[in-house]
Amino acid sequence: MTEHVKPVPPTWCPGCGDFGVLASIKKSLSDLKVPLEETVLIGGIGCSGGIHNFMDGYGFHSLHGRLLANAVGVKLANPKLTVIAAGGDGDGYAIGMGHFIHALKKNVSLVYVVMMNETYGLTKGQASPTAPVGYRGNVESPFDAVLTALSIPSASFIARGFSGDPKGAAQLLTEALKFNRERKGFAFVEMLSPCVTYNDTYKLWREKVQNVTSVAGYDAADRSRAFSTCLEIMEAGRIPIGMIYRAPEDRRLPSLDQTVLPTLEKAPATTDISLATNLPRYQKLVDALT
Amino acid sequence: MPRREGPFTDLAFLAMATTPEAHTLVPASGEQLGSSRPAAPVLHDVSVMIGGQGGDGTLTVSDLLAHYFRTRGLYVYTSRNVLSRIRGGHADASMRASVEPTWSQKWKEDLVVAFDDEAARIGQNHLVSGGILLGDQGQVKVSGERVHVLPLSVTAASKVGNGLFKNTVAYGALSLIMGLDAASARAVISARFGRRGGDALERNLKAFDLGRQLALDQIGKDPLLTVEDGAAKDHILTTGNQACALGFVVGGGRFFAGYPITPATPIMEALQRYLPQFDGVVRQAEDELAAINMTMGAAYAGARAMTATSGPGLSLMTEGIGHAGEAEIPIVVVDCQRVGPSTGEPTRHEQSDLLHVVFSSHGEFPRFVLAPGDAQDTFDLTVTALNLAEKWQLPVILLLDQALSENAQTGPRFDLSRVRIDRGKLLTARDIEGMAVYKRYEFTPDGISPRAVPGTPGGEGQTTGNEHDEWGHVSVNRENRRKMMAKRMGRLELARPDLPPPRFFGDEKARIGLIGFGSTYGPIREAQRLLKKEGVATRFYQARTLWPVPVDSLQAFLESVDVAYVVEHNYMGQLKMLIQQYLPSPKLRSIRKYDGDSFFAEEIVGEVRRSGGTP
Repeated sequence: MTEHVKPVPPTWCPGCGDFGVLASIKKSLSDLKVPLEETVLIGGIGCSGGIHNFMDGYGFHSLHGRLLANAVGVKLANPKLTVIAAGGDGDGYAIGMGHFIHALKKNVSLVYVVMMNETYGLTKGQASPTAPVGYRGNVESPFDAVLTALSIPSASFIARGFSGDPKGAAQLLTEALKFNRERKGFAFVEMLSPCVTYNDTYKLWREKVQNVTSVAGYDAADRSRAFSTCLEIMEAGRIPIGMIYRAPEDRRLPSLDQTVLPTLEKAPATTDISLATNLPRYQKLVDALT
Repeated sequence: MPRREGPFTDLAFLAMATTPEAHTLVPASGEQLGSSRPAAPVLHDVSVMIGGQGGDGTLTVSDLLAHYFRTRGLYVYTSRNVLSRIRGGHADASMRASVEPTWSQKWKEDLVVAFDDEAARIGQNHLVSGGILLGDQGQVKVSGERVHVLPLSVTAASKVGNGLFKNTVAYGALSLIMGLDAASARAVISARFGRRGGDALERNLKAFDLGRQLALDQIGKDPLLTVEDGAAKDHILTTGNQACALGFVVGGGRFFAGYPITPATPIMEALQRYLPQFDGVVRQAEDELAAINMTMGAAYAGARAMTATSGPGLSLMTEGIGHAGEAEIPIVVVDCQRVGPSTGEPTRHEQSDLLHVVFSSHGEFPRFVLAPGDAQDTFDLTVTALNLAEKWQLPVILLLDQALSENAQTGPRFDLSRVRIDRGKLLTARDIEGMAVYKRYEFTPDGISPRAVPGTPGGEGQTTGNEHDEWGHVSVNRENRRKMMAKRMGRLELARPDLPPPRFFGDEKARIGLIGFGSTYGPIREAQRLLKKEGVATRFYQARTLWPVPVDSLQAFLESVDVAYVVEHNYMGQLKMLIQQYLPSPKLRSIRKYDGDSFFAEEIVGEVRRSGGTP
């Protein structure tokens, strides 16, 4: 057996919400028996972005905010891979916002996990795009990624978990990974993941989270109902969590990877590029020039 | 003679005297045009300018003429002058056809087609004395003995049903005026419009016939000039962008991500046609940040991947280029340079990104910068760039420029026999089975670590833009940092034997040297021919690797000459600056142009002559 890289112990502060997310990802991958060599974990920049160092498989550390663009490239080069992009809310909703919106629009079969803590922990606690008014002098009202995702027509899997509820979080991640393995499109999972050092919201969030299933008659296949319910829960001063929206199969738009790469075997990274195989077809292209 | 100093002195192009044939319409036989109607001169080098408003279809006329003369065995070079908008504003295109090898614009136009008065006035300034102006009746107000006004747009509107066909009407009139073979000229229309479907072909052929008839009725049956046939009948007419796209496909490129930008977009558009045939993927990204990061993702996953852009996009891509350097991801970035900075002149020509591509991104990391000179060279170097990127695991920048990217030129069909695929130390599962240990960033004598891509059992590892140890784990260990820097940067020296060598043209014993990169290849080679006719021998060093600076070959070249003119399209003399860093030779002189247009051979000749070829 060839010796290869071993995970290093997490560098997170004791009690960090990201531990719960890491455990959930590992458990979900193991439950679904995803082969190690097919697992690609792409981390962003920030405390949470180091997550790829703490587990086995192929790991890629992206530039700040660019992880989704990298992930799209990986998946479209080899759709057999199970690609998970994981980063923080500063990484995803500030510097990476353009890529986030476009990842929802592109709808490539990836799992995107955002460890949301309302702060830039690694640079010592500045307000992130999700920081509430008043946090460290913040006067801008916070961004909400779930409402945003719901407004993108191709978004088909939108969930929010809480690392204080590891069982629920692992369930959502497993569902997201299944969705991904079936090439159904982009699965977005925001994980409320408190920063114990700069914004310890464990207690507050435990009180505020409300699973959408607690609302009578909630239907995760109903996009407009999902939007209005989330809004109502937020306006009541609470945080909606759970399986927020999952497009019903008859209304789910095809994933980009399935559209541009109909067969798994024939893809940019795996196709035979040898001259021996391709020369006659190349010659045709060259001969067609005038 | 004192050395003319200062990179900021401007050029006095127009003060020079030039050879007579550059200034007057002279038949190949030497017979001067008279005021009466002489026999049509037979030209061996002709240039036709077609001007009008954007949307008038001037490029189509240029393209039809270009293909006609290609089929007649001439060397063809086209250029364009358009504003960055879809319609409106003056736009012109020039088509040069020559019996002798040519890759540049002609100093003066022999014939101008003007669809409006502005184009006629601009065109007149470019016409050779005795040159012909063909104008659209009702639009063109200029007059003169050699001005012929025909109802091009009126005929198109009334008889073809749409005034837009005036361009093909003009092509029909030109076919008679220039003594083109009617069947061959019509065949060019069929080749261009035959696959469009609908009635496009039929209407264009009708417009052509009407134009020919107009010229016959109003100018007469005798051509006003004729052009010799050439011997290069098997050539293709292509652009650097087209060559780059095709080179990418045959070099095994299978993933491309880009963002629309002039003048790089045609590479993406060509690949959108090609790549799906080869299990490849082309994506138009949301911006250049995404384009280069998608490219890196695909390259990391094992696909040969490339992006193409121009200055403004390159500025956004610089963080990605650095990431590819640190993380050792093999990517190719094409920069089709245009006038900068900022939005600059999107459609115009410059070579002012050189220092940017050599030094772009923060920190220090190895990269190669390659610059082809013509379309065939672009094809070859695109394949080379893919091999170098993967073998040396770093970003390779392919530096084109607007003229090379977009100006169509004739040349030999691309040669597939020279294509090789070298994937470097790319590991298979079986390779890994035989290894005791796999470290993504293992220290090796050549600085290249064996690389496994996702999907390969046993190759799991970390790829990162953080400084890292051999395993790919974050490290700030001082000794590790020193060793990692040496591993990465050392490749710049170790790779030298692999890098494309310069090409030399002209007289080996010449004491006057010329150095250039990119599309200056064309005007420099023509300048050499003009100088040779005056008895001035020159030798041209065409730089094809710009980084690392090919110090040895440049040094040998500088030792072989008394003076070396560095010819480039920028204000600061960037290539000269780069060479001087390593070789501060007093022999180096600068010939620069930065007005958005590419060099005319005569401008280079004038500069060489003005300084007498002395240092």
